[in-house]
Amino acid sequence: MNATVDVTAREETPPWLEYAAPIFTILAALGVGALVLLVIDVNPIEAYSLMLVETPTSRQGQTDILITAVPLVLAGLAVYLPLKAGLFNIGAEGQLVFGALAGTWVGLNVSLPGYALVLLMFLAAAGAGGLLAAIPAWLRAKWDINEIITSLLLSFIALELLSYAVRGPMKGAAGNFPQTAQFSEAATLPTLYGRVHVGLAVALVLVVLTYVLMTQTRLGFEINFVGSNDEAAVQAGMSKYRLYLFVFVLGGAFAGIGGIGEIAGVQGRLRAGFEPGYGFTAIPIALLGRGSAIKVLFAGLFFALLFTGGTTMEVFLGIPAALVDVIQALIILFLITGEFFKQYRVGLRFKRETPSTTANATRGDD
Amino acid sequence: MAGFIAGLLGATVSVATVFIFAGLGELIAERAGVLNLGVEGMMLGGALGGFVVTVLTESPWLGFCVGIGVGMLLAGIHAFLCVTLKANQVISGVMLTLLGTGLTTFYGAGWVDRSIDGFSEVTVPLVGQYLIQIPVIGEALFSNTPTDYIALALVPAVWYLLNRSNLGVELVSVGEDPEMADTMGVSVFKLRYLAVVIGGGFAGAAGAHLSLAFSQLWVPGMTAGRGWIAVALVIFAQWRPTRMLAGAYLFGMLDALQLRSQALSVSVGADTPFAGLINAVLEFVMNAQIMSTYPYVATIMILSYAVIRTESSQLAVPSALLESYSRETD
Amino acid sequence: MSEPPFLELDGILKQFPGVVANDHVDLRVKRGEIHGLLGENGAGKSTLMKILYGLYTQDSGTIYLDGERLELASPQDAIDAGIGMVHQHFQLIPRLSVAKNVVLGEREPASAFRVDGTSGGLLPESVRSNSIVQSLARLFSLGLDVPKRRIQQLADQYGFDIDPDAKVWELGVGQQQRVEILKALYRDVDLLILDEPTAVLTPTEAEQLFDSLERLAAEGLSVIFITHKLTEVESVVDRVTILRDGENAGTAAVSDVSKADLAEMMVGREVLFDIERDGAERGEPVLELRNVGAESDRGIEALSGIDLTVREGEVVGVAGVSGNGQKELAEVTAGIRDVTAGSIRIGGSDLAGATPKEFVEKGISFVPEDRLRYGCAAELPILHNAVMKEFTDTRFGGKASLNYDELAAYAETLVEEFDVRGVDSVAETKAGDLSGGNLQKLILAREISRDPDLLIANQPTRGVDVGAIEFIREALLEQRQNGTGTLLISENLDEIMDLSDRILVIYEGEFVHETTPKAADRDRIGLEMNGGGAGNDTDDRPKRGSSRSPTPVATEHGAKRR
Repeated sequence: MNATVDVTAREETPPWLEYAAPIFTILAALGVGALVLLVIDVNPIEAYSLMLVETPTSRQGQTDILITAVPLVLAGLAVYLPLKAGLFNIGAEGQLVFGALAGTWVGLNVSLPGYALVLLMFLAAAGAGGLLAAIPAWLRAKWDINEIITSLLLSFIALELLSYAVRGPMKGAAGNFPQTAQFSEAATLPTLYGRVHVGLAVALVLVVLTYVLMTQTRLGFEINFVGSNDEAAVQAGMSKYRLYLFVFVLGGAFAGIGGIGEIAGVQGRLRAGFEPGYGFTAIPIALLGRGSAIKVLFAGLFFALLFTGGTTMEVFLGIPAALVDVIQALIILFLITGEFFKQYRVGLRFKRETPSTTANATRGDD
Repeated sequence: MAGFIAGLLGATVSVATVFIFAGLGELIAERAGVLNLGVEGMMLGGALGGFVVTVLTESPWLGFCVGIGVGMLLAGIHAFLCVTLKANQVISGVMLTLLGTGLTTFYGAGWVDRSIDGFSEVTVPLVGQYLIQIPVIGEALFSNTPTDYIALALVPAVWYLLNRSNLGVELVSVGEDPEMADTMGVSVFKLRYLAVVIGGGFAGAAGAHLSLAFSQLWVPGMTAGRGWIAVALVIFAQWRPTRMLAGAYLFGMLDALQLRSQALSVSVGADTPFAGLINAVLEFVMNAQIMSTYPYVATIMILSYAVIRTESSQLAVPSALLESYSRETD
Repeated sequence: MSEPPFLELDGILKQFPGVVANDHVDLRVKRGEIHGLLGENGAGKSTLMKILYGLYTQDSGTIYLDGERLELASPQDAIDAGIGMVHQHFQLIPRLSVAKNVVLGEREPASAFRVDGTSGGLLPESVRSNSIVQSLARLFSLGLDVPKRRIQQLADQYGFDIDPDAKVWELGVGQQQRVEILKALYRDVDLLILDEPTAVLTPTEAEQLFDSLERLAAEGLSVIFITHKLTEVESVVDRVTILRDGENAGTAAVSDVSKADLAEMMVGREVLFDIERDGAERGEPVLELRNVGAESDRGIEALSGIDLTVREGEVVGVAGVSGNGQKELAEVTAGIRDVTAGSIRIGGSDLAGATPKEFVEKGISFVPEDRLRYGCAAELPILHNAVMKEFTDTRFGGKASLNYDELAAYAETLVEEFDVRGVDSVAETKAGDLSGGNLQKLILAREISRDPDLLIANQPTRGVDVGAIEFIREALLEQRQNGTGTLLISENLDEIMDLSDRILVIYEGEFVHETTPKAADRDRIGLEMNGGGAGNDTDDRPKRGSSRSPTPVATEHGAKRR
């Protein structure tokens, strides 16, 4: 008896699988996570219900989810837009941080009346994020240099620049901590309700704008086209150069806004070690949501739930942050295996070793 | 001053070993077409695994081997995800780093205060005893831990493997054009698995060297981003083992300098023209965090130069890097 | 013909969702024969050969090679059985040398470890033949000296001029193809399959290829030669099998049939090679190239001193064999390649150095040679591809917005007017799912409907089934009536003769001859296409056939596999 595993590509993914796959894989991830939790004497049911049920149903939890969603969704868009153009932006983390840096500087050093300061902070953050993102975009557009490598490396450079800034030029006067001064009232983002700051509104608006961009405008058409075949797009008169720069700069700007939103709306000051990881989580968010900006929004909300739930587990059950990271990483890892099952059919075939069976053997039986 | 230089050189060699191990491993994986961004996590796994076993068994060699094993295990996950399940290599790698960091931080918490007798320094037989007598640099350069020597020996070994062996030719072909290699009867899957797992093993070795030779202790997150620098190093070296050696020493020196930069302050005399400006620039350039960016900046510059200048930009990077492969039957 | 066939395919059936690619196809190839496989696009030639080469498995039917039944699950099985394939897109690793490319997969150990008598004698036989030693040596060493000698020997035997140490990226296309052939020869194949080999060769290189094939056949190697060029069939093939719609439409000795017969068997009906053409008004120049020069992708000069004028209502045909600068000429005129010298006057202004967009805006339409690469986005729906150049037009929306309903309606009219088949829904069916001919019709539809002043068509009917070919040619002529000036570039001399008002012959980047269809001397044109008598024109080759019969078994080929 001979067992073989048959792997065949699907023509298209049946709709039920589109939803079932992520659900099953998340359940699998939670299963493995449960083992991890048992090791430290935590009841997995308790932990998961805290993370997945109580968090989104409590007032506090909802607030936290919405707040966390802001940088996640924006960073998700920062990866999504270049992705539609056929580019891979994995420097969203650096763009986010760089934007936060620029926005913070403005918030601490400029004084303007009313909401003008906040507006300027947003613009500075968008500009900084966009500027950083322009570098890999330009290198790719002009010289065809791999943007994955350049955006990743620039991300690390940006993180070090942050570290430099808060230990040096931007260090707060009070005490000797590697952090900036606290934001003044004027520099703090106004809130919509509770602790949910205005960044959420900005994020939602930008999601809608992105959606409209991609589905209703000429530019969106071109972005789609160049992402599918850049050579044909050039032949048709589209400017690859312009489009590549546009998606990256806009994406970087979005990430930057997400960064300053986090600082000015939640943390109140920029600290060393501000490395929230949102830029990297944005990659699976964008991949999950690559159909449309609205899907990116939902993917971002989902991950916000995961992050917030994780923090709740830390706080209430004493689960170390490191383990929460582990569970989150497991979930994402399992999610991407789910992608595989959506695209391929896996079957098990048992064959008896007789000469005649192999003659009429076919591949991809169903 | 002499002590500073000696200390700097000694640290350079030891850090370079980390880069050589991790860099060679990543080089092998990338030549086969798989980007492994989980190096940092695998290094931490190797560091903790090696440390724990050495504490328990008092044998750094055993620890070193276990460290390699842990790296291979984590890399096996990456290989399964990327090669068999054709998952996105970037996400898989980054998440494995997160996984490795989280697991080692958690499980390593209890091992922080332990101490070990790790690898001690030895000299090369015969000539070693004379070499270490060279003033200032002698001891620093020629008295090293066994892991340093292993790393050095690996460089020509990997070069030979890639360029002068059938396994190497097949591995390179898999990273350039897996479809073509498949029709020539080369097993794309097996080779990619092999390359990734070896890469992980080397990363584990790098981590074990850190905890058993370089600093002989365990601290969560002790790799301090060196895994990412190793990824940059591979690109800096344009996927060639010989250049990797030079790059490892360069980056190693930067790493060692950066740690010592506070003790070092370079400035020009106050009466030199533009002294104020020059000194400010020098201070900026020698700042620890700014120095940390140099490997990355250098890599971007080298990569750009290589791609712009190479006659066929195809040759700058392994052509099939990051592409999942599946035999498209029917 | 009592000799049993060397290769026998019996009743090969292969189906894909929605289509029967091979419908109980029989094929018989004799030893030492050059057997042609002729057929339109989609007739099943490629599929049949992929089955023979182990890339696909047939649903039913059997393969016999030299009387032995074959089960081919992979290309490795095919190679082991003695079947080699030279693909259209070379399977070479540019970074590696010729020698490494040839031995890839064979795991040749260093000569000290060889067991076939070619070792240097450094190690005793007992050590060498130990299986563990062998496995290790095969993995961890690489012996190129013996293989390189063998490669050189094979190259000399068949007239190839190859340096085994050269890196493949340094070689020209013809050379690279020879490396592909060497790969097969090195593995002692008895049957060699060539898939449209002359598509990428210059005429001289094609000649050399045919010579080599004849030498190989003389040594007893069987060759299957896939083509759709009727002239090639006549030059080098002994017998030909025609596939039509997945079925074997007949086999014949080339000496027994004419081109018209072959074409009829390919299509199933009489094909008219002549098209009626009315006189058209010749107007102002729409294109003036003056002293244009350009480089190829490799940086070599591809065009020099090109002077060309195309007027309204005129079709200027550029005849020549692929690789003489046609690609560069088309791309320069369409604006996607820079000129190194000269001017491009279109609509009164010099566009040399302008962006592709400016060319598009000047009313130039372009049907490229490589339609999947430059002509469409295969993964996007028909809709997107249909409006690839028109979407900026104001009738499709406001200043920045797009009305996708309008776009869909436009796409649908195009599909209908140009008889593009295989479209379920313009918004969902992907362009890449269309067959070659239908995709070309879609591209032509898109380009022509812009009512361009200048239309550039580079090999517009290549890889297109005969039914679509007629449609496309009619469409080109209609556009000519409408006043469009057309630059028609084609390898197909018949096509040039049928459609052009003026004919130019291009050779090595220069125009070497100008004439009109009435005044044309086909022999002279053929000569000029090949450098004015420098090489042999394929038309001058003696026809293959009964004067040469397949040789009986030679010792080299046909021996049992090791």
